[in-house]
Amino acid sequence: MSPSVLICDDSNMARKQVLRSLPEAWHENMQTATNGVEALTILRANKIDVLFLDLTMPNIDGLGVLQGIQKLNIECNVFVISADIQPEMQSKVLALGAKSFLKKPVEANFLLQELQQHNLL
Amino acid sequence: MNAFHLTEDQRDCLQELINIAMGQASEQLARYLNTFVYLQVPNIQNIDGKYLTQVLNEEESATDVVSQGFFGYEGIRGEALLMYQSENLGRITDLLGFEPEELTHDEELIDISSILTTTFLNVFADQIDNKMSYNAPKILSNVKDHLQQMAFNWDFALKVNINYQVVDYSFNCNMILLIPEMAITNIKKVINRILEDY
Repeated sequence: MSPSVLICDDSNMARKQVLRSLPEAWHENMQTATNGVEALTILRANKIDVLFLDLTMPNIDGLGVLQGIQKLNIECNVFVISADIQPEMQSKVLALGAKSFLKKPVEANFLLQELQQHNLL
Repeated sequence: MNAFHLTEDQRDCLQELINIAMGQASEQLARYLNTFVYLQVPNIQNIDGKYLTQVLNEEESATDVVSQGFFGYEGIRGEALLMYQSENLGRITDLLGFEPEELTHDEELIDISSILTTTFLNVFADQIDNKMSYNAPKILSNVKDHLQQMAFNWDFALKVNINYQVVDYSFNCNMILLIPEMAITNIKKVINRILEDY
């Protein structure tokens, strides 16, 4: 069975970029959110296996979502996909429990490689 | 519908291209300042060239303006203006921690502006399959005179408000890209191509 996926980004184009990088089968069980508040609402109500998370967003940014996930003890594999590529930011998201940091625009091959590395593919 | 009108999808695409370019410009700035820069979603606004001076009136508090011309392929060219608010200038100098004799205020401003402008435009150009070259940046003494002299060339202005917070400091500047109609028409073509791919 394909994993349940949530893509959270305020940009429609960025969400599509992630979507089309993923295997067809993953499209079945997929939800989207356009800000951190929406993402946390979905994460609370549903079991999400994989979250693709942007950082720079209105209404609770990506860091806020990571903190929320920790606070609520939600089990979820988070892959941060962001244009904010400062090394400090990358260490920060990893320290907050993200599996991996991917820079924007996301490259399909790299994304799949990261998913494999974390035994999700 | 004129050349300046963007559909919701075109605008979303442009915003994302700008976010990515801004992210890398911030990373360069952070390295230059040797600190961490908090990045916010840049606020973009497009302005018909005819109304630009009107819009800029609201920003008269901007005392220092650094201008830098850029040239790409397919008619994509223009001029970037970085406008700093007066109250922020002292903070930038503090941030850099330069002794007065090392670099003049103008040199610092030109350095920072050039980093932001060229990194931003290189990354932006790369995403639309273009490549930029640049003129030397210069400080403008009077923006309005400058704009009036070149007004007929610049049909369109893309204003990107950049708000940088650097640890205890924050500074705010506006990057205004002045581009001719041909450039926005070409940028829209590339954006449409990108959108068709999705």
